[in-house]
Amino acid sequence: MLNILVLGLGQCGNRILDAMNREAFGRGGAFAKYYTRQKFPASVKTIAINTAINDLKGLVDTRAKDRLHVPHLHGVGANRSIGKRVFGENKEIIMSEIDKRGTFDLIFIITSAAGGSGSSFAPLLVRELKETYTNAPIICITVLPFREEGSIFLQNAAFCLKDLIDEKPAGVLLVDNQYLKKYAGDIKSAYDKINTTTARRLLFLIEALNSEMLMVTDLGDLKTVMNGGIGIGTMGFYEASKDSTIKSAILGSFKPSGLLFPTNVYKEGARAMLIIKGDKKYLDLDLITKTIEELSNEVGQVFKGVLVQRGKPRVLSLFTLNSVPELEKLYAIAAEAIRSERERQDKSKSQLDSAFSHIEDLEPIY
Amino acid sequence: MNGCRVLMVLVAAALLMLVLPMTAAAETTNVTIRVNEYIVLNNDIYLEVRDVGAGGISYAEVWFRSSQDSVGTVTKVYTGDIPTSYTSGTGLTIKVTLDSAFSNGASFVIESSKPLYVTERHGAEVETEPVTVPKLTITRTIDPNAAEIGQTVKVTLTIKNTGNGTATDIMLDEGTIAKTYKDGCPSTIDDIAAGATERIEYDLKIGEDVQSGTREMPASVLNYKGEPGDSYSTQSQSSVLDIISKTVLLPEMTISIDPPIDYVVTCGDKVPMVVTITNIGNATSEKVYVKGDLPPGVRLKGGELEPVYESIKPDKSEEYEVTLVANEEGKHVVEMKVMWADEEATAVFEFLAEKSGLEKYYIYIIVAIPILLILLWIIKRRREYSY
Repeated sequence: MLNILVLGLGQCGNRILDAMNREAFGRGGAFAKYYTRQKFPASVKTIAINTAINDLKGLVDTRAKDRLHVPHLHGVGANRSIGKRVFGENKEIIMSEIDKRGTFDLIFIITSAAGGSGSSFAPLLVRELKETYTNAPIICITVLPFREEGSIFLQNAAFCLKDLIDEKPAGVLLVDNQYLKKYAGDIKSAYDKINTTTARRLLFLIEALNSEMLMVTDLGDLKTVMNGGIGIGTMGFYEASKDSTIKSAILGSFKPSGLLFPTNVYKEGARAMLIIKGDKKYLDLDLITKTIEELSNEVGQVFKGVLVQRGKPRVLSLFTLNSVPELEKLYAIAAEAIRSERERQDKSKSQLDSAFSHIEDLEPIY
Repeated sequence: MNGCRVLMVLVAAALLMLVLPMTAAAETTNVTIRVNEYIVLNNDIYLEVRDVGAGGISYAEVWFRSSQDSVGTVTKVYTGDIPTSYTSGTGLTIKVTLDSAFSNGASFVIESSKPLYVTERHGAEVETEPVTVPKLTITRTIDPNAAEIGQTVKVTLTIKNTGNGTATDIMLDEGTIAKTYKDGCPSTIDDIAAGATERIEYDLKIGEDVQSGTREMPASVLNYKGEPGDSYSTQSQSSVLDIISKTVLLPEMTISIDPPIDYVVTCGDKVPMVVTITNIGNATSEKVYVKGDLPPGVRLKGGELEPVYESIKPDKSEEYEVTLVANEEGKHVVEMKVMWADEEATAVFEFLAEKSGLEKYYIYIIVAIPILLILLWIIKRRREYSY
């Protein structure tokens, strides 16, 4: 059984982690935690880490002992510099708490790239974890902000993502809030939907990695996929209807509507992993193999895992990309926002200096 | 004066001397006169015997008359009575006492201040010897004069011949109390000489079927004859015998239970019960069994409920204690029975068992416990997931 560590950093990471814990209760609803235990598909340890205690208190399905408050007032105020300093000051506490969970075969770090605690802690934590758990691949689930959230968040996202890539984790899987906002009308519902969707896909992946499969894919394949391209990827998902074929289900998981980050898989995909679950009657292995061979011509190496499970065919696709045009757009917006912010700051400062100049030669008379 | 006094004393002394010789010179004469015969005393007084009676108290009917009193007096003279006086027309006084009477005559003792002479005799020949007559008296005693049914008492008859003749052909007619039985009571008795006393004893058994109470035993009657063959009869006083009901020796048991009825206990608590068996009879009872009947919902906690006693003497008790426990609420009746011979006696012990304070809330507790456990579990899980 795989030992998997899932770390949720900052408010966003905490919420997705909480959603994973909730999903692990099954279909018991809000009261499931009172009468049942979480059933993860592997030996999964979760820790929600945050400097904002209120964010930790807001979690519902994560056990208290799995919540680690890194003390610094009430958060770092989206300030990555402060966040980095706080991490440095509390590194021992954080690593000690992780160490209590034992050893791991795979580590997921879930964080928002735009916030304060998560975006600042994530790159540094990758570095620490790589030193401590040398054999455990670290995959960062990085959530990109709404573009209109403001320059600070865009700036944080830009620098966080860069810092993450610099630390060379096994891979970075992107989740784009801006892209997924389409799932719901209001922000609150969108966040909930995004968190739940991301959590389910991660659990789907974990279950596949830990199960005996009809066609096998494993942690080694995952590493290979994540090493493809620029090490940045995303996940797609499709649940077939009763009458659809397994091929249409596989192809459905490549469609933009099922992806967590907008990309053209056929054009930008480097490597892929397909995990197919469903009733055996739907699982036509020949058709699956043939379809994947066709995909390989366009997407590159495609690893497949087929898991017999009751229900209609469901397909999780995980990609790494050779290029990420959407990121370029993000960085362009971020750079523009930074420049614009700097100009406003400079202008404000000069205005203030000008205002102060009026009393430069004067002394208070009272 | 002195001469007169001396004269008076001399006269008095002379008179006294005259009187004393007259008193001391009273004459006594015994005469026997047959019935319808008369004698003449001193040619003046006539004594004629007109009738005699010899049974029981003897008497003689005598006609006293004189030459100047031809009517005279007819008087019955009884033996042992005071002398009968008669004074003739001439002033001669006689005192007559009946010495004895016989079938055809009587003997008299006649006293007078003058010498008496039988100057004439007319009628029957004079008997020369007195007739002998037996006279029996009988007394009866019963010892004891109070006895229980079935007992035997001793009856003693004492017969005394106070006459001067032997009583013969004595027949005893003994009185009888119904349903009593005489043992050794003779119907005939040997002759009893004059002055002799005969004692007769016999047993009188009181029958089993007689009714108790005071009973009168009729008099004993003696019929006998004298030597001449005269018949006589006498009887005793009647007697009284108290017949007491027969004392039956039987054991009789009573059984009692302490505490008394209307005892209130709590379900599950021990209920002590002291059983006392007493022999209030007048005989020892062999093999006394005690049986207990416990109602449903009551069980024996300690002690022996049904002991057996080899014997219990009169006025003695046996006591033992058992402990009961009532498992069910409600009124419970414990019946204890003591059995001896073919008899039995029963005692009942009633007590009310109430639910304990805790038991009243069992249903709530049973419901509350899982709720509490669930609540505790929820609190635990909530705390587990609260930060």
